[in-house]
Amino acid sequence: MGRFKLVAGLFGMLFGFMISWGHFTDPDEIRQMLLIEDLYLWKMFATAVAVGFVGTRLLRGSRALVTGERIDWVTSLPARHHVSGAVVFGLGWAVAASCPAPIAAQLAQGVWWSVVPFAGVGAGVLLYQRRSAQAPGAVVDAGPDTPAPRFASAVAPAVPEPARP
Amino acid sequence: MIDALTDRAPWWVVGIALGLVVVGVMATLNQRVGAVGGYSDVVDRLSGRSASLGWRAWFLLGIIAGSGLFMILGGQTGAQAGYGWLTRTFEGGWQVLVVPILFGAGIMIGYGAKTAGGCTSGNGLCGSALASPSSLVATATFMGTAVLATVLLSAVI
Repeated sequence: MGRFKLVAGLFGMLFGFMISWGHFTDPDEIRQMLLIEDLYLWKMFATAVAVGFVGTRLLRGSRALVTGERIDWVTSLPARHHVSGAVVFGLGWAVAASCPAPIAAQLAQGVWWSVVPFAGVGAGVLLYQRRSAQAPGAVVDAGPDTPAPRFASAVAPAVPEPARP
Repeated sequence: MIDALTDRAPWWVVGIALGLVVVGVMATLNQRVGAVGGYSDVVDRLSGRSASLGWRAWFLLGIIAGSGLFMILGGQTGAQAGYGWLTRTFEGGWQVLVVPILFGAGIMIGYGAKTAGGCTSGNGLCGSALASPSSLVATATFMGTAVLATVLLSAVI
């Protein structure tokens, strides 16, 4: 395992630890948040986005510590699949009262039911991959799960942001 | 056992930490975090589409390990029965219905998140922090859908 994967794993550990401490692994707590009975999720989410927004902008243009690459990204304009996919995802989230990261974290907490949605998420990803393979170019994964620099040319329409000097 | 872990962390502590994960992954790897990408890497490896686990799979495995570490440090052990409203609604012999419901919900989560270009972490935390218009629209859509569907479900069931 290279340094790249080791660092990814360590950040994943911090992520898993913190979502567990924030009780995002409890479907009941998630449901309360989605019912707006508990504002914890929303306040936490806004804080995380704000920290990420400021931090990534401070980093832009500098070199990544492990890869040495120049830190930069491209963004894409919304397309129909962003909305249609998000609706399907949101419905699944409402039924399970959980989403991909908490489902994975539940596995380590002995929530045995989580094996079922974990397998379901894997099956959903496989279904997406099979459908994408059958219709190449029809569905473009243009979101954050696509490494931006490498796939920037495959993302349409992409809006490259001007790099800082 | 660390006593501080027995109570839920303040929202701002979790928020700052998760924001720093987004920043940290960018600072070290020049990559965007996203949990559903880890599932993709695992599926790729299991289906033979890739020869080794990608970094996103290691991020996902880290989430599992971090959750386990929290359990150990928090002094919590043992399995947890039930899965929220579903296992409370479907009791006794009816509980077998929870399996296809949860599996179906999982498929919707995986398929929908991939189609939308990311999940709560990928689009919601990272994409929104990068001010990606597609992520902002996707995040507003899946959060709005999840809230609306949860309210409707709680009203009906």
